[in-house]
Amino acid sequence: MINDVIAIIQDYWLLLLIGQYPNGPLGGLANTLILSALSIALAFPVSILLALARLSKWRLLRWPVTGLVYVTRGVPLLMLILWSYFLVPLWTGADVPSFVTMLTTLVVYQGAFLSEVVRAGIVALGSGQMDAARALGHSSLGAMRFIILPQALYNMIPSIISTFVSTIKDTTLGYVINVPDLTFAASQVNNQLLTQPFQVFFILAVVYYAICWSLTHVANIVERRITRRRAGLSGDAAPVELVPAKIISEQL
Amino acid sequence: MSTSAAQIQQVQTIRLSDVCKSYGDYPVLKNIEAEVARGEVVVICGPSGSGKSTLIRTINRLEEINSGSITLDGQNIHAAMRTRELNLLRSRIGFVFQNFNLFPHLSVVENVSMSPIRVKGVAAAVAHDKALKLLDRVGLADKARAYPGQLSGGQQQRVAIARALAMEPPVMLFDEPTSALDPEMVGEVLAVMKSLASEGMTMICVTHEMGFARDVADRIWFIDAGQILETAPPEEFFKTPRHPRAQRFLADLRH
Ligand SMILES: Nc1ncnc2c1ncn2[C@@H]1O[C@H](COP(=O)(O)OP(=O)(O)OP(=O)(O)O)[C@@H](O)[C@H]1O
Ligand SMILES: [Mg+2]
Repeated sequence: MINDVIAIIQDYWLLLLIGQYPNGPLGGLANTLILSALSIALAFPVSILLALARLSKWRLLRWPVTGLVYVTRGVPLLMLILWSYFLVPLWTGADVPSFVTMLTTLVVYQGAFLSEVVRAGIVALGSGQMDAARALGHSSLGAMRFIILPQALYNMIPSIISTFVSTIKDTTLGYVINVPDLTFAASQVNNQLLTQPFQVFFILAVVYYAICWSLTHVANIVERRITRRRAGLSGDAAPVELVPAKIISEQL
Repeated sequence: MSTSAAQIQQVQTIRLSDVCKSYGDYPVLKNIEAEVARGEVVVICGPSGSGKSTLIRTINRLEEINSGSITLDGQNIHAAMRTRELNLLRSRIGFVFQNFNLFPHLSVVENVSMSPIRVKGVAAAVAHDKALKLLDRVGLADKARAYPGQLSGGQQQRVAIARALAMEPPVMLFDEPTSALDPEMVGEVLAVMKSLASEGMTMICVTHEMGFARDVADRIWFIDAGQILETAPPEEFFKTPRHPRAQRFLADLRH
Protein backbone atom coordinates (compact mmCIF):
# COMPACT_ATOMS: atom_id res chain seq x y z
CA MET A 1 0.00 0.00 0.00
CA ILE A 2 2.73 2.44 0.98
CA ASN A 3 4.66 1.31 -2.10
CA ASP A 4 1.61 2.05 -4.27
CA VAL A 5 1.34 5.53 -2.78
CA ILE A 6 5.02 6.25 -3.39
CA ALA A 7 4.75 4.94 -6.93
CA ILE A 8 1.74 7.15 -7.65
CA ILE A 9 3.53 10.19 -6.26
CA GLN A 10 6.62 9.42 -8.33
CA ASP A 11 4.59 9.06 -11.53
CA TYR A 12 2.10 11.84 -11.07
CA TRP A 13 3.62 14.47 -8.77
CA LEU A 14 3.85 17.05 -11.51
CA LEU A 15 0.21 16.58 -12.52
CA LEU A 16 -0.87 16.85 -8.89
CA LEU A 17 1.29 19.92 -8.43
CA ILE A 18 0.50 22.04 -11.49
CA GLY A 19 -2.04 20.05 -13.54
CA GLN A 20 -1.50 19.93 -17.28
CA TYR A 21 0.45 23.17 -17.40
CA PRO A 22 2.18 24.22 -19.70
CA ASN A 23 0.31 22.02 -22.18
CA GLY A 24 -3.05 22.85 -20.64
CA PRO A 25 -4.45 25.21 -18.02
CA LEU A 26 -2.66 25.54 -14.71
CA GLY A 27 -4.16 23.07 -12.27
CA GLY A 28 -3.34 20.87 -9.33
CA LEU A 29 -2.19 22.12 -5.94
CA ALA A 30 -0.84 25.35 -7.47
CA ASN A 31 -4.26 26.24 -8.76
CA THR A 32 -5.93 25.31 -5.47
CA LEU A 33 -3.59 27.65 -3.60
CA ILE A 34 -3.97 30.46 -6.14
CA LEU A 35 -7.74 30.14 -6.08
CA SER A 36 -7.82 30.17 -2.27
CA ALA A 37 -5.39 33.05 -1.95
CA LEU A 38 -7.21 35.13 -4.55
CA SER A 39 -10.61 34.51 -3.00
CA ILE A 40 -9.46 35.42 0.49
CA ALA A 41 -7.61 38.49 -0.83
CA LEU A 42 -10.79 39.70 -2.55
CA ALA A 43 -13.22 38.48 0.13
CA PHE A 44 -11.40 40.53 2.76
CA PRO A 45 -12.15 44.01 1.35
CA VAL A 46 -15.61 42.83 0.33
CA SER A 47 -16.28 41.73 3.90
CA ILE A 48 -15.28 45.15 5.24
CA LEU A 49 -17.66 46.89 2.84
CA LEU A 50 -20.46 44.46 3.71
CA ALA A 51 -19.86 44.96 7.43
CA LEU A 52 -19.88 48.76 7.12
CA ALA A 53 -23.08 48.56 5.08
CA ARG A 54 -24.67 46.37 7.72
CA LEU A 55 -23.73 48.88 10.43
CA SER A 56 -24.83 51.84 8.34
CA LYS A 57 -27.63 54.07 9.52
CA TRP A 58 -29.16 54.12 6.03
CA ARG A 59 -31.78 51.40 5.71
CA LEU A 60 -31.50 51.42 1.94
CA LEU A 61 -27.96 50.17 2.35
CA ARG A 62 -28.40 48.09 5.47
CA TRP A 63 -31.42 46.00 4.53
CA PRO A 64 -30.37 44.60 1.14
CA VAL A 65 -26.88 43.79 2.38
CA THR A 66 -28.25 42.12 5.51
CA GLY A 67 -30.52 40.07 3.24
CA LEU A 68 -27.61 39.12 1.01
CA VAL A 69 -25.48 38.05 3.96
CA TYR A 70 -28.28 35.99 5.47
CA VAL A 71 -29.12 34.22 2.21
CA THR A 72 -25.47 33.54 1.44
CA ARG A 73 -24.84 32.13 4.88
CA GLY A 74 -28.02 30.07 4.86
CA VAL A 75 -27.50 28.32 1.53
CA PRO A 76 -25.04 25.45 0.90
CA LEU A 77 -21.98 26.56 -1.00
CA LEU A 78 -22.58 23.93 -3.67
CA MET A 79 -25.94 25.55 -4.40
CA LEU A 80 -24.28 28.94 -4.91
CA ILE A 81 -21.68 27.39 -7.20
CA LEU A 82 -24.30 25.74 -9.37
CA TRP A 83 -26.31 28.95 -9.50
CA SER A 84 -23.40 31.01 -10.72
CA TYR A 85 -22.36 28.26 -13.08
CA PHE A 86 -25.74 28.06 -14.82
CA LEU A 87 -27.21 31.51 -14.28
CA VAL A 88 -24.31 33.90 -14.85
CA PRO A 89 -23.66 32.79 -18.47
CA LEU A 90 -27.44 33.01 -19.04
CA TRP A 91 -27.56 36.60 -17.80
CA THR A 92 -24.35 37.83 -19.30
CA GLY A 93 -24.34 35.66 -22.40
CA ALA A 94 -20.61 35.35 -21.97
CA ASP A 95 -18.67 32.15 -21.62
CA VAL A 96 -17.19 32.50 -18.17
CA PRO A 97 -14.24 30.21 -17.31
CA SER A 98 -15.05 27.85 -14.45
CA PHE A 99 -12.13 29.26 -12.47
CA VAL A 100 -13.72 32.73 -12.53
CA THR A 101 -17.14 31.34 -11.63
CA MET A 102 -15.62 29.53 -8.66
CA LEU A 103 -13.59 32.55 -7.60
CA THR A 104 -16.59 34.89 -7.68
CA THR A 105 -18.73 32.48 -5.73
CA LEU A 106 -16.07 31.97 -3.10
CA VAL A 107 -15.55 35.72 -2.76
CA VAL A 108 -19.26 36.32 -2.15
CA TYR A 109 -19.56 33.35 0.17
CA GLN A 110 -16.46 33.99 2.27
CA GLY A 111 -17.08 37.74 2.13
CA ALA A 112 -20.48 37.18 3.73
CA PHE A 113 -19.01 35.03 6.48
CA LEU A 114 -16.05 37.31 7.13
CA SER A 115 -18.33 40.34 7.22
CA GLU A 116 -19.95 38.88 10.31
CA VAL A 117 -16.52 38.61 11.89
CA VAL A 118 -15.70 42.22 11.00
CA ARG A 119 -19.05 43.39 12.31
CA ALA A 120 -18.59 41.50 15.57
CA GLY A 121 -15.10 42.95 15.87
CA ILE A 122 -16.39 46.49 15.44
CA VAL A 123 -19.31 46.02 17.82
CA ALA A 124 -17.00 44.43 20.42
CA LEU A 125 -14.97 47.67 20.58
CA GLY A 126 -17.95 49.37 22.22
CA SER A 127 -19.20 52.89 21.65
CA GLY A 128 -16.45 54.63 23.64
CA GLN A 129 -13.91 54.59 20.82
CA MET A 130 -16.37 56.06 18.32
CA ASP A 131 -17.47 58.68 20.87
CA ALA A 132 -13.88 59.70 21.48
CA ALA A 133 -13.17 59.92 17.75
CA ARG A 134 -16.26 62.00 17.08
CA ALA A 135 -15.58 64.28 20.03
CA LEU A 136 -12.18 65.04 18.48
CA GLY A 137 -13.84 66.00 15.21
CA HIS A 138 -13.22 62.89 13.10
CA SER A 139 -15.76 62.08 10.41
CA SER A 140 -17.38 58.66 10.70
CA LEU A 141 -15.33 57.38 7.78
CA GLY A 142 -12.13 58.82 9.23
CA ALA A 143 -12.90 57.28 12.60
CA MET A 144 -13.52 53.92 10.93
CA ARG A 145 -10.30 54.10 8.96
CA PHE A 146 -7.89 55.30 11.61
CA ILE A 147 -9.42 54.19 14.88
CA ILE A 148 -12.07 51.47 14.62
CA LEU A 149 -10.94 49.23 11.75
CA PRO A 150 -7.24 49.00 12.71
CA GLN A 151 -8.30 47.61 16.09
CA ALA A 152 -11.10 45.39 14.80
CA LEU A 153 -9.03 43.95 11.96
CA TYR A 154 -6.04 43.31 14.17
CA ASN A 155 -8.26 41.28 16.47
CA MET A 156 -9.54 39.46 13.40
CA ILE A 157 -6.26 38.10 12.06
CA PRO A 158 -6.79 34.57 13.48
CA SER A 159 -10.30 34.47 12.00
CA ILE A 160 -8.94 35.50 8.64
CA ILE A 161 -6.46 32.63 8.71
CA SER A 162 -9.24 30.24 9.71
CA THR A 163 -11.36 31.47 6.84
CA PHE A 164 -8.40 30.87 4.56
CA VAL A 165 -8.31 27.27 5.76
CA SER A 166 -11.99 26.72 5.07
CA THR A 167 -11.59 28.38 1.68
CA ILE A 168 -8.94 25.82 0.79
CA LYS A 169 -11.35 23.06 1.76
CA ASP A 170 -14.18 24.76 -0.13
CA THR A 171 -12.21 24.90 -3.37
CA THR A 172 -12.64 21.11 -3.65
CA LEU A 173 -16.27 21.79 -4.58
CA GLY A 174 -14.97 23.39 -7.76
CA TYR A 175 -14.69 19.80 -8.96
CA VAL A 176 -18.39 19.78 -9.90
CA ILE A 177 -17.87 22.58 -12.40
CA ASN A 178 -14.53 21.24 -13.62
CA VAL A 179 -12.21 23.75 -11.99
CA PRO A 180 -8.77 22.16 -12.57
CA ASP A 181 -7.58 22.09 -8.97
CA LEU A 182 -5.86 19.48 -6.82
CA THR A 183 -9.02 17.38 -6.40
CA PHE A 184 -9.58 17.47 -10.15
CA ALA A 185 -6.00 16.35 -10.79
CA ALA A 186 -6.35 13.51 -8.29
CA SER A 187 -9.49 12.25 -9.96
CA GLN A 188 -7.70 12.38 -13.31
CA VAL A 189 -4.99 10.21 -11.83
CA ASN A 190 -7.64 7.90 -10.45
CA ASN A 191 -9.27 7.62 -13.86
CA GLN A 192 -5.99 6.60 -15.42
CA LEU A 193 -5.10 4.02 -12.77
CA LEU A 194 -8.66 2.77 -12.24
CA THR A 195 -7.67 0.18 -9.61
CA GLN A 196 -6.21 2.29 -6.83
CA PRO A 197 -8.85 4.83 -5.71
CA PHE A 198 -8.04 4.39 -2.04
CA GLN A 199 -4.37 5.18 -2.52
CA VAL A 200 -5.05 8.19 -4.76
CA PHE A 201 -7.58 9.77 -2.46
CA PHE A 202 -5.40 8.95 0.53
CA ILE A 203 -2.68 11.15 -0.99
CA LEU A 204 -5.28 13.85 -1.62
CA ALA A 205 -6.48 13.76 1.98
CA VAL A 206 -2.94 13.89 3.35
CA VAL A 207 -2.06 16.95 1.27
CA TYR A 208 -5.19 18.86 2.29
CA TYR A 209 -4.71 17.86 5.91
CA ALA A 210 -1.08 18.95 5.97
CA ILE A 211 -1.87 22.38 4.54
CA CYS A 212 -4.95 23.04 6.61
CA TRP A 213 -3.47 21.71 9.82
CA SER A 214 -0.37 23.87 9.56
CA LEU A 215 -2.43 26.98 8.81
CA THR A 216 -4.74 26.24 11.75
CA HIS A 217 -1.65 25.85 13.88
CA VAL A 218 -0.42 29.26 12.73
CA ALA A 219 -3.84 30.75 13.50
CA ASN A 220 -3.71 29.38 17.04
CA ILE A 221 -0.24 30.78 17.65
CA VAL A 222 -1.24 34.19 16.33
CA GLU A 223 -4.41 34.13 18.39
CA ARG A 224 -2.49 33.35 21.56
CA ARG A 225 0.00 36.10 20.81
CA ILE A 226 -2.72 38.67 20.18
CA THR A 227 -4.56 37.69 23.35
CA ARG A 228 -1.37 38.13 25.32
CA ARG A 229 -0.62 41.49 23.69
CA ARG A 230 -4.16 42.67 24.35
CA ALA A 231 -3.92 41.61 27.96
CA GLY A 232 -0.80 43.71 28.31
CA LEU A 233 -2.33 46.63 26.45
CA SER A 234 -5.83 46.87 27.82
CA GLY A 235 -4.94 48.15 31.30
CA ASP A 236 -7.92 49.50 33.21
CA ALA A 237 -10.31 49.63 30.31
CA ALA A 238 -12.51 46.59 29.77
CA PRO A 239 -10.54 44.02 27.75
CA VAL A 240 -11.54 43.98 24.13
CA GLU A 241 -13.11 40.65 23.35
CA LEU A 242 -11.29 38.72 20.71
CA VAL A 243 -13.43 37.35 17.94
CA PRO A 244 -13.06 33.62 18.50
CA ALA A 245 -11.50 32.15 15.39
CA LYS A 246 -12.36 28.59 16.24
CA ILE A 247 -16.08 29.10 16.52
CA ILE A 248 -16.14 30.95 13.22
CA SER A 249 -14.24 28.24 11.41
CA GLU A 250 -16.54 25.59 12.83
CA GLN A 251 -19.54 27.43 11.43
CA LEU A 252 -18.14 27.38 7.95
CA MET B 1 -11.53 83.42 37.47
CA SER B 2 -14.67 84.66 39.18
CA THR B 3 -16.82 86.56 36.78
CA SER B 4 -19.44 89.12 37.57
CA ALA B 5 -22.97 88.78 36.26
CA ALA B 6 -22.51 91.72 33.94
CA GLN B 7 -19.44 90.13 32.38
CA ILE B 8 -21.28 86.85 31.91
CA GLN B 9 -23.83 88.66 29.78
CA GLN B 10 -21.13 90.12 27.62
CA VAL B 11 -18.77 87.26 27.05
CA GLN B 12 -20.96 84.21 27.30
CA THR B 13 -19.59 81.48 25.08
CA ILE B 14 -22.05 78.66 25.68
CA ARG B 15 -25.75 79.18 25.98
CA LEU B 16 -28.40 76.52 26.42
CA SER B 17 -31.93 77.68 25.83
CA ASP B 18 -35.01 75.61 26.50
CA VAL B 19 -33.16 72.36 25.83
CA CYS B 20 -35.39 69.29 26.02
CA LYS B 21 -34.43 65.71 25.43
CA SER B 22 -36.17 62.44 26.03
CA TYR B 23 -35.40 58.79 25.45
CA GLY B 24 -38.71 57.58 24.03
CA ASP B 25 -41.39 58.81 26.45
CA TYR B 26 -38.91 59.34 29.25
CA PRO B 27 -37.76 62.95 29.55
CA VAL B 28 -34.09 63.21 30.55
CA LEU B 29 -33.58 66.96 30.13
CA LYS B 30 -36.43 69.38 30.82
CA ASN B 31 -36.26 72.97 29.59
CA ILE B 32 -32.62 73.54 30.46
CA GLU B 33 -31.63 77.22 30.53
CA ALA B 34 -28.01 78.01 31.25
CA GLU B 35 -25.01 80.08 30.25
CA VAL B 36 -21.29 79.72 30.58
CA ALA B 37 -19.03 82.73 30.31
CA ARG B 38 -15.59 82.68 28.73
CA GLY B 39 -13.05 81.50 31.25
CA GLU B 40 -15.69 80.29 33.62
CA VAL B 41 -15.47 76.93 35.38
CA VAL B 42 -18.83 75.26 35.96
CA VAL B 43 -19.25 72.12 38.01
CA ILE B 44 -22.37 70.08 37.41
CA CYS B 45 -23.46 67.92 40.29
CA GLY B 46 -26.54 65.93 41.12
CA PRO B 47 -27.70 62.45 41.98
CA SER B 48 -27.06 59.42 39.77
CA GLY B 49 -29.35 59.22 36.76
CA SER B 50 -30.28 62.90 36.97
CA GLY B 51 -29.08 63.58 33.42
CA LYS B 52 -25.60 65.02 33.97
CA SER B 53 -23.89 62.92 31.32
CA THR B 54 -26.70 63.44 28.87
CA LEU B 55 -26.55 67.20 29.39
CA ILE B 56 -22.80 67.48 28.88
CA ARG B 57 -22.90 65.17 25.85
CA THR B 58 -25.50 67.35 24.16
CA ILE B 59 -23.06 70.26 24.29
CA ASN B 60 -20.78 68.69 21.69
CA ARG B 61 -23.70 66.88 20.09
CA LEU B 62 -22.67 63.36 21.00
CA GLU B 63 -26.38 63.29 21.94
CA GLU B 64 -29.09 64.92 19.90
CA ILE B 65 -31.74 67.09 21.56
CA ASN B 66 -35.48 67.19 20.86
CA SER B 67 -35.95 70.93 21.07
CA GLY B 68 -34.24 74.13 22.13
CA SER B 69 -30.78 75.28 21.13
CA ILE B 70 -27.20 75.16 22.34
CA THR B 71 -24.87 77.82 21.00
CA LEU B 72 -21.12 78.14 21.11
CA ASP B 73 -20.09 81.75 20.49
CA GLY B 74 -23.44 82.34 18.86
CA GLN B 75 -23.33 79.33 16.56
CA ASN B 76 -26.09 76.81 17.10
CA ILE B 77 -24.49 73.42 17.60
CA HIS B 78 -27.75 71.58 17.01
CA ALA B 79 -28.72 73.40 13.82
CA ALA B 80 -28.99 71.42 10.61
CA MET B 81 -25.53 71.55 9.07
CA ARG B 82 -23.15 69.60 6.91
CA THR B 83 -21.29 66.86 8.75
CA ARG B 84 -17.99 68.54 7.85
CA GLU B 85 -19.11 71.67 9.62
CA LEU B 86 -20.30 69.69 12.62
CA ASN B 87 -16.97 67.85 12.84
CA LEU B 88 -15.15 71.16 12.78
CA LEU B 89 -17.39 72.53 15.49
CA ARG B 90 -16.88 69.41 17.60
CA SER B 91 -13.13 69.70 17.31
CA ARG B 92 -13.44 73.06 19.08
CA ILE B 93 -15.00 71.44 22.14
CA GLY B 94 -12.66 69.19 24.09
CA PHE B 95 -14.27 66.21 25.80
CA VAL B 96 -12.80 64.01 28.52
CA PHE B 97 -14.58 60.74 29.28
CA GLN B 98 -14.98 58.83 32.49
CA ASN B 99 -13.31 55.76 30.89
CA PHE B 100 -10.55 57.73 29.12
CA ASN B 101 -11.32 56.07 25.76
CA LEU B 102 -7.73 56.33 24.62
CA PHE B 103 -6.96 54.57 21.34
CA PRO B 104 -5.22 51.39 22.53
CA HIS B 105 -3.55 50.61 19.20
CA LEU B 106 -1.67 53.92 19.16
CA SER B 107 1.21 55.04 21.33
CA VAL B 108 0.64 57.87 23.76
CA VAL B 109 2.19 60.50 21.52
CA GLU B 110 0.21 59.20 18.53
CA ASN B 111 -2.98 59.38 20.57
CA VAL B 112 -2.30 63.07 21.12
CA SER B 113 -1.01 64.01 17.66
CA MET B 114 -3.33 61.97 15.47
CA SER B 115 -6.41 64.17 15.46
CA PRO B 116 -4.59 67.43 14.69
CA ILE B 117 -2.99 65.61 11.73
CA ARG B 118 -6.12 63.86 10.45
CA VAL B 119 -8.79 66.42 11.28
CA LYS B 120 -6.98 69.76 11.05
CA GLY B 121 -4.32 68.80 8.52
CA VAL B 122 -1.44 69.89 10.76
CA ALA B 123 1.94 68.67 9.50
CA ALA B 124 3.00 65.48 11.25
CA ALA B 125 6.25 66.88 12.65
CA VAL B 126 4.52 69.97 14.03
CA ALA B 127 1.76 67.89 15.61
CA HIS B 128 4.33 65.56 17.11
CA ASP B 129 6.28 68.40 18.75
CA LYS B 130 3.10 69.94 20.04
CA ALA B 131 2.03 66.57 21.45
CA LEU B 132 5.33 66.22 23.32
CA LYS B 133 4.86 69.69 24.81
CA LEU B 134 1.33 68.83 25.93
CA LEU B 135 2.50 65.55 27.43
CA ASP B 136 5.18 67.45 29.30
CA ARG B 137 2.52 69.77 30.59
CA VAL B 138 0.47 66.90 32.05
CA GLY B 139 3.66 65.38 33.46
CA LEU B 140 3.98 62.46 31.07
CA ALA B 141 6.83 63.42 28.76
CA ASP B 142 8.62 60.17 29.60
CA LYS B 143 5.62 58.07 28.54
CA ALA B 144 5.36 59.35 24.97
CA ARG B 145 6.39 56.00 23.45
CA ALA B 146 4.31 53.86 25.81
CA TYR B 147 0.95 52.36 24.89
CA PRO B 148 -2.20 53.22 26.87
CA GLY B 149 -2.41 49.69 28.28
CA GLN B 150 0.93 50.18 29.99
CA LEU B 151 -0.25 53.24 31.93
CA SER B 152 -2.13 53.60 35.19
CA GLY B 153 -5.65 55.00 35.13
CA GLY B 154 -4.52 58.43 36.28
CA GLN B 155 -1.83 58.55 33.60
CA GLN B 156 -4.33 57.49 30.94
CA GLN B 157 -6.72 60.22 31.95
CA ARG B 158 -3.95 62.81 31.78
CA VAL B 159 -3.13 61.60 28.27
CA ALA B 160 -6.81 61.92 27.42
CA ILE B 161 -6.73 65.54 28.60
CA ALA B 162 -3.61 66.20 26.51
CA ARG B 163 -5.32 64.58 23.52
CA ALA B 164 -8.30 66.90 23.87
CA LEU B 165 -6.06 69.95 24.34
CA ALA B 166 -4.15 69.11 21.16
CA MET B 167 -7.12 70.36 19.13
CA GLU B 168 -6.75 73.74 20.91
CA PRO B 169 -10.38 73.89 21.96
CA PRO B 170 -11.63 77.07 23.62
CA VAL B 171 -13.92 74.94 25.79
CA MET B 172 -13.33 71.69 27.68
CA LEU B 173 -16.02 69.32 28.92
CA PHE B 174 -15.32 66.68 31.57
CA ASP B 175 -17.72 63.84 32.37
CA GLU B 176 -16.72 62.40 35.75
CA PRO B 177 -13.03 62.34 34.82
CA THR B 178 -11.95 60.84 38.14
CA SER B 179 -14.78 58.40 38.85
CA ALA B 180 -13.01 55.42 37.27
CA LEU B 181 -9.76 56.07 39.13
CA ASP B 182 -8.29 54.54 42.26
CA PRO B 183 -8.38 57.15 45.03
CA GLU B 184 -4.62 57.73 45.01
CA MET B 185 -4.76 58.81 41.35
CA VAL B 186 -7.60 61.31 41.63
CA GLY B 187 -5.29 64.08 42.79
CA GLU B 188 -2.95 64.05 39.78
CA VAL B 189 -5.87 64.45 37.36
CA LEU B 190 -7.54 67.16 39.40
CA ALA B 191 -4.22 69.00 39.54
CA VAL B 192 -4.08 69.12 35.73
CA MET B 193 -7.66 70.36 35.62
CA LYS B 194 -6.89 72.98 38.21
CA SER B 195 -3.97 74.30 36.24
CA LEU B 196 -6.15 74.46 33.13
CA ALA B 197 -8.73 76.46 35.03
CA SER B 198 -6.12 78.85 36.33
CA GLU B 199 -4.99 79.51 32.78
CA GLY B 200 -8.46 80.68 31.92
CA MET B 201 -9.88 77.67 30.11
CA THR B 202 -13.67 77.59 29.90
CA MET B 203 -14.66 74.33 31.57
CA ILE B 204 -17.78 72.36 32.34
CA CYS B 205 -17.13 69.45 34.68
CA VAL B 206 -19.45 66.77 35.90
CA THR B 207 -17.80 65.56 39.09
CA HIS B 208 -18.46 64.27 42.57
CA GLU B 209 -15.21 65.81 43.82
CA MET B 210 -16.70 68.47 46.05
CA GLY B 211 -13.27 69.67 47.14
CA PHE B 212 -12.46 70.49 43.52
CA ALA B 213 -15.85 72.17 43.12
CA ARG B 214 -15.25 74.33 46.19
CA ASP B 215 -11.72 75.35 45.16
CA VAL B 216 -11.96 75.74 41.43
CA ALA B 217 -15.54 76.23 40.30
CA ASP B 218 -17.00 79.65 39.63
CA ARG B 219 -20.47 78.23 39.71
CA ILE B 220 -22.22 74.99 40.58
CA TRP B 221 -25.18 73.72 38.63
CA PHE B 222 -27.27 71.36 40.68
CA ILE B 223 -29.30 69.08 38.48
CA ASP B 224 -31.97 66.60 39.46
CA ALA B 225 -34.48 64.67 37.35
CA GLY B 226 -33.41 66.50 34.22
CA GLN B 227 -33.76 70.01 35.57
CA ILE B 228 -31.22 72.55 36.76
CA LEU B 229 -32.68 73.31 40.18
CA GLU B 230 -30.01 75.66 41.43
CA THR B 231 -27.00 77.55 40.13
CA ALA B 232 -24.82 79.29 42.66
CA PRO B 233 -21.20 80.08 43.47
CA PRO B 234 -19.67 77.24 45.48
CA GLU B 235 -19.47 79.08 48.83
CA GLU B 236 -23.14 79.82 48.63
CA PHE B 237 -24.12 76.40 47.31
CA PHE B 238 -22.28 74.46 49.99
CA LYS B 239 -23.18 76.75 52.88
CA THR B 240 -26.74 77.70 52.12
CA PRO B 241 -28.29 75.55 49.40
CA ARG B 242 -31.73 76.89 48.60
CA HIS B 243 -33.48 74.01 46.97
CA PRO B 244 -34.62 71.23 49.33
CA ARG B 245 -33.32 68.55 46.99
CA ALA B 246 -29.91 70.23 46.87
CA GLN B 247 -29.95 70.31 50.67
CA ARG B 248 -30.74 66.58 50.78
CA PHE B 249 -28.07 65.85 48.14
CA LEU B 250 -25.40 67.66 50.16
CA ALA B 251 -26.55 66.03 53.40
CA ASP B 252 -26.23 62.59 51.74
CA LEU B 253 -22.74 63.47 50.50
CA ARG B 254 -21.54 64.27 54.01
CA HIS B 255 -22.51 60.82 55.29
N1 LIG C 1 -29.34 55.53 25.69
C1 LIG C 1 -30.28 55.65 26.64
N2 LIG C 1 -31.52 55.14 26.46
C2 LIG C 1 -32.47 55.27 27.39
N3 LIG C 1 -32.30 55.89 28.56
C3 LIG C 1 -31.10 56.42 28.82
C4 LIG C 1 -30.02 56.32 27.88
N4 LIG C 1 -28.93 56.94 28.40
C5 LIG C 1 -29.32 57.39 29.62
N5 LIG C 1 -30.61 57.08 29.88
C6 LIG C 1 -31.36 57.43 31.08
O1 LIG C 1 -31.34 58.83 31.19
C7 LIG C 1 -31.18 59.21 32.55
C8 LIG C 1 -30.01 60.15 32.68
O2 LIG C 1 -28.82 59.44 32.38
P1 LIG C 1 -27.40 60.10 32.55
O3 LIG C 1 -26.40 59.09 32.13
O4 LIG C 1 -27.38 61.40 31.87
O5 LIG C 1 -27.33 60.30 34.11
P2 LIG C 1 -26.12 60.82 35.01
O6 LIG C 1 -26.63 61.95 35.80
O7 LIG C 1 -24.91 61.01 34.17
O8 LIG C 1 -25.91 59.57 35.98
P3 LIG C 1 -24.55 59.01 36.61
O9 LIG C 1 -24.20 59.86 37.78
O10 LIG C 1 -24.94 57.63 37.02
O11 LIG C 1 -23.51 59.02 35.53
C9 LIG C 1 -31.04 57.94 33.35
O12 LIG C 1 -32.27 57.68 33.98
C10 LIG C 1 -30.72 56.90 32.34
O13 LIG C 1 -31.29 55.69 32.73
MG1 LIG D 1 -23.00 60.05 34.01
